[in-house]
Amino acid sequence: MNFKIEILTKKCFENSRGKNMLSKIYSMHINGIKKVEYSPLYVIGGNISFDEARIIAADLLSDKITETYAIAESDQHCKISSPILSMIEVWYKKNVTDTVSESIIKAVKDLGISKKFKIKTGHKYYLYGRISKAVLSRITTKLLANTLIQEYKIIK
Amino acid sequence: MKDVNGCNIVDMLDLSDNQLVKLSKNNTFSLSLEEMKVIQRYFQGLKRNPTDIEIETIAQTWSEHCKHKTLTGIIRYTEFDDTKAQKVKTYKNLLKETIFKVTMELNKKWCWSVFEDNAGIIEFDSKNGVAFKVETHNHPSALDPYGGTSTGVGGAIRDILGVGLGAKPLANTNVFCFGNPNVELREIPKNIHHPKKVIKDAVAGVGDYGNKMGIPTVNGAVHFDNGYISNPLVYCGTFGIIPKNKIRKKVNVGDLILLVGGKTGRDGIHGATFSSLQLSYESDVNAVQMGNPIIEKKVLDAMLNARDLNLYRSVTDCGAGGLSSAIGELGRKTGAIVYLNKVPLKYSGLRPWEIWISEAQERMVFAVPPENKNKIIKVFKKEKVEAVFIGEFTKNKRLIIKYNNDVIANICMVFLHNEMPKSTKTAVYRIKKEKLQKSIKMSDDKISRTLKTLLSDLNICSREWIVRQYDHEVQGQTIVKPLQGNSIEISGPGDASIIFPYNIINGTKKGVVLSNGLNPQYGKINTYKMAASAIEEALRNAVAVGANIEKIALLDNFCWGNPNYPKILGGIVRAANACYDVAKAFETPFISGKDSLYNEYSIICKKYSIPSTILISAIGIIEDISKTITMPLKNKNNKLFLAGITRNELGGSVFAKIINISDGIVPSVYPMESKIIMKNIHMAIKKNLVESCHDCSEGGFAVAASEMAFASGKGIIINIDSIKTDMCPMTPIEILFSESNGRFIIEVKCENELKLREIFKNAVLTEVGYVSDDNNVIFESKMHKIRIKENTEDLLKAWRNTLNW
Repeated sequence: MNFKIEILTKKCFENSRGKNMLSKIYSMHINGIKKVEYSPLYVIGGNISFDEARIIAADLLSDKITETYAIAESDQHCKISSPILSMIEVWYKKNVTDTVSESIIKAVKDLGISKKFKIKTGHKYYLYGRISKAVLSRITTKLLANTLIQEYKIIK
Repeated sequence: MKDVNGCNIVDMLDLSDNQLVKLSKNNTFSLSLEEMKVIQRYFQGLKRNPTDIEIETIAQTWSEHCKHKTLTGIIRYTEFDDTKAQKVKTYKNLLKETIFKVTMELNKKWCWSVFEDNAGIIEFDSKNGVAFKVETHNHPSALDPYGGTSTGVGGAIRDILGVGLGAKPLANTNVFCFGNPNVELREIPKNIHHPKKVIKDAVAGVGDYGNKMGIPTVNGAVHFDNGYISNPLVYCGTFGIIPKNKIRKKVNVGDLILLVGGKTGRDGIHGATFSSLQLSYESDVNAVQMGNPIIEKKVLDAMLNARDLNLYRSVTDCGAGGLSSAIGELGRKTGAIVYLNKVPLKYSGLRPWEIWISEAQERMVFAVPPENKNKIIKVFKKEKVEAVFIGEFTKNKRLIIKYNNDVIANICMVFLHNEMPKSTKTAVYRIKKEKLQKSIKMSDDKISRTLKTLLSDLNICSREWIVRQYDHEVQGQTIVKPLQGNSIEISGPGDASIIFPYNIINGTKKGVVLSNGLNPQYGKINTYKMAASAIEEALRNAVAVGANIEKIALLDNFCWGNPNYPKILGGIVRAANACYDVAKAFETPFISGKDSLYNEYSIICKKYSIPSTILISAIGIIEDISKTITMPLKNKNNKLFLAGITRNELGGSVFAKIINISDGIVPSVYPMESKIIMKNIHMAIKKNLVESCHDCSEGGFAVAASEMAFASGKGIIINIDSIKTDMCPMTPIEILFSESNGRFIIEVKCENELKLREIFKNAVLTEVGYVSDDNNVIFESKMHKIRIKENTEDLLKAWRNTLNW
């Protein structure tokens, strides 16, 4: 079973990476986006159980004070119907070295979970604002993803 | 091609010239027809076709990156001056006849290792040397700015680990050339990153790697020009301390080959040969490398332990060309056998040639005497660093690679290293006649506005946004820092940084000074003057903080377009000659260098080349770190002197760009004048006569004086009429903004004036003003009825706000 873990900033705290991305969007003179939220993503594959995934999410990948997490089966996407929200997931392409995942594998062992597993890391952006498909594509390819080494999925 | 044991047999023995060219191009070998024919003849002699791993090995070894084949090849050079007179010269090896030559002729005893190892080494004290290397990482940074710059830093650090038996890295330097970050997104061609993204990601990459390694980034420069939009330049440098008895390395027959550090994946495949090609954004994902500073930090700690226990005889890093270059180089005088199956992989499915030339990061190769086999593994295991023996050095002078017990490569080391044919290229340079601009006059108000525009220009403004993302304090040895001033809010640009390595060398009073010089705008008019000015600027910066001109070494980094165009190669020849002439005159040897050519790109089928760019880095030893100086003014009523002559030299200046004049003379270098001034400044600093000192560079005297004032929050009154000019008449505006080389502003206590004048009796030193008791910066000329008055806060604001992201 593969689990997808999303780390979410609690509402009462500032989503600083989202805010940083918003400032990057503005600095490129792209208008229409009002707010950006950012979540790190992880997909864990192998023999890891749901309980173990929960331990990894709670004790390793998230900060208990400022963040919470959601765990789903890896291919699940929540559907959104809001016309002012776009979600973009960005992942490394196959064979691109993912150094963060290498560190996580070591850290999971330090947590006492000695099973063999694989992990990949990604990024999720929630873009709030009324923008055209062309603008969304420009933001995604110019700012959110480097298409040479990363692939992206726009969930509208 | 036929597949045998994971290898393809490259059917090339009977290929025609056209087919050989196609073979090279299709496989990114970046080998010329002549080179392909030599390879074909070699294998015809062996009566067999090569395997893919064999031809890849040759391609890596003969790459521009590894062999510098343009600058070491034959160049037929023709130079035309404005009278159309011709000068013709053939260079058999441009590097040997210019850069190396000056070092050989100067023959400084304090240069301990030059152009023979991964970095140059100069004497620090009788027992320790300082190793310094600056590399470029342009193409990878263009494709992935974050990954490119972070692995650039990692590579520079590994060069320092791989010099001699390993130096301890003390500080990093990073220099960038970027496109204008304010360009509209719609103006950026498809598949090219916007300069603002490039800048932000590149800076993050440098910070993330250096900071995580615990190595301070203390020095750097940034230059902006739209010629770098598609092809930014990234220079990464590191220096470190190495004990004198750890400088010499050798490989003995029977030594084991130990591979240490990161696992091998498809990272950076064809990096070495890729650097000989025009940049294409359709590049393969495998051209990009990703860094992991945590692994490199562990390698660093463990290998320095192993070094001090004398557990290995030689070491080098896996850089461009991967294992192919590292083992090929270590074993060139002996021979080597490598068991490729033993190389730890990130994932399965790599073909043997991919394992062999992968540029996966954080890897080092050691030559270990068999008796130390277990001991050295224990040292690396203790730091949880992967270390695997993958072969041994042999006596047969052949490179043999085995995979699944089969020999998949068997090449003679002599062929590999000595039989690359020399290329012959044509170079042409037409010296442009520089014309003095029409006399420039402005109202007081306009001069004031121009001064503020200059301070906020991208090529002068504060780099605080970048500097503060780097940890320049870690290790606690940075005593002269990149930003200097009264507080975090009030600071100015330091000329150079100084590291006081007291943690490594107990009881030392000495420091290491690091500086650089770069100005591609001059190169657009005259590459000779660009290189000469870059050398002088690097030296001035070092001297301004207290370095002794008699113990400064230089590094060169040439970044140019495609040298197959005679005009472009002509510019390189001129710059290399300037390096010889000026370094010889200053008696400052080159100890290391690098070139990055083929920095060109296509937009809608039209080819563009970057502005020709040379970076000169300087490293010097300061005998007593208590005798160092910073640039902010210190006390009111102190006198201000200008050392050096101001000439009418506005060609290529920031002022010329701002007021849009195309004429103007590019600043020349007068080494005989400047050298005396630099020696005098050192003497004056040594005698505690100097309170602050700052060199005049981009923006000229007015900008330098303003920087000294706003960095301290203290005012100055400058008498423009007192500034010493040469015979050519100059208006006050030209005096204020000319970028003439060889000038320093020096602050001196009134009681020390006579002593300073005594030291400067053999050079031009003019009293030009004093530090006032308010915060107004005043430039006045009674002769021309000019009075400009600005307060330091406004000037500081102008300087700080441009790159304040």
